[in-house]
Amino acid sequence: MKFDMDYIAHNNKLTESNPYFKLFLTVFLLILTLALDNLYFDVFIFIAMSVVILAIAGINYKSYIKFLLIPMAFLVITCLFLVFFFGSGKVIYETGIFGIVVTTDSLHYGVYTFMRVLGCLPCLGFLALTTPIAKILHCLATLKIPKIVIEIALLMYNTIFIFLNEIDTMQKAQETRLGYHSYTNSFKSLGALTSTIFLRSLDKSETLQNSLDSRGYNGELPLYKPKKGVINHVRG
Amino acid sequence: MHIMEGYLPLQWCIIWFVISIIVVAYGIYQVKKIVDETPESKALIAVSGAFMFVLSSLKLPSVTGSCSHPCGNGLGAALFGPAVTAVLATIVLLFQAILLAHGGLTTLGANIFSMGIVGPLIGWIVYKALTKGNISSTIAIFFAAFLGDLLTYVATSFQLALAFPSPSFGSALTKFLVIFAVTQVPLAIGEGILTVIIWDRLKAYKPKLLAKLNVLAPNEA
Repeated sequence: MKFDMDYIAHNNKLTESNPYFKLFLTVFLLILTLALDNLYFDVFIFIAMSVVILAIAGINYKSYIKFLLIPMAFLVITCLFLVFFFGSGKVIYETGIFGIVVTTDSLHYGVYTFMRVLGCLPCLGFLALTTPIAKILHCLATLKIPKIVIEIALLMYNTIFIFLNEIDTMQKAQETRLGYHSYTNSFKSLGALTSTIFLRSLDKSETLQNSLDSRGYNGELPLYKPKKGVINHVRG
Repeated sequence: MHIMEGYLPLQWCIIWFVISIIVVAYGIYQVKKIVDETPESKALIAVSGAFMFVLSSLKLPSVTGSCSHPCGNGLGAALFGPAVTAVLATIVLLFQAILLAHGGLTTLGANIFSMGIVGPLIGWIVYKALTKGNISSTIAIFFAAFLGDLLTYVATSFQLALAFPSPSFGSALTKFLVIFAVTQVPLAIGEGILTVIIWDRLKAYKPKLLAKLNVLAPNEA
């Protein structure tokens, strides 16, 4: 699951399109959605961005639903919570349990928050699903974000994948030995797992740092940006 | 759980962004200083950040069935201080938003404030106070990780209560605290234990680095 979004970001029809445009469009639409706070606009932006993601970027609808599903589950729970436990004002519905009521105020909060998040999620999805992290970081670097931050972010991005690979291997090994059979066992296994990964990645990161340094790394990873014609030529 | 994309109204997004940017800018300055002094600690900084990221996507064996997760900010705070951890948390939260759809871009400022500023700051103060009092760094790191995690969720509750002060700020705060902070207590203890295990190994394998970063208790160094 963790690899999915990164893989999709590298393999869709919009991967090669201008990352600055995608970044600015996302930020602009997010701010617009929040500023307007209009229910109809929220629905409009949800539909519009979903169409862009599914039809123009050509992303599999199953992956898109998967992307929406986890935040949606949280959203429904928190909004129900807002509706039933918050607000004051006129009571419009009584559940009859412990005096829990729905008021005009709380309904307003719940509905508006729900729709706002509904509008914002596909905007985030547009950026997350069509733009690889390296390109976003490159954008940020040209937008005067300090070099050291970008450098650490790139190293971190690399380390995350080392971590995930190691976790996968180790967790399978632990599971085949009933490492997660009981509560105490799973705690012991998780402790062993995390500390081993931490140390191993430390070693790998140091190796990486040394290899970069020995090749004259000065905090900048030069990025090759092929012209569009070149790619078409190679592909065609 | 981070505050998700679009959950906060615009004015609160801006307020938290402004507060966070000031602290993060100071953190970047600190990172530069550390890396200039000890170039090999760059790898350690990056690994701590990646560790924060991976911890938040791992599921701790939870008794309450709560949807929360560990934050991993106590370790970073103890190693590098709260300002650097704020920078790490910024990158982690950006990655989480883009790679996992966890958190969001508009709520980034608010999430940095809770996970990158309040939690690590408290964790760091506790860690420094305990090690100054010659208490073993292993015990100190437990409380740093425990409180760092817990206070993150307390801060989140504050932020949500400020954004939804209904019927009043106080009652909203109580409700959010019950949901986020109380369910987080067992997870915070879990994270504390986990960090202690990692800390012990770090002490056994990388004692020189820890001594260089000057984080051990005076009697251990």
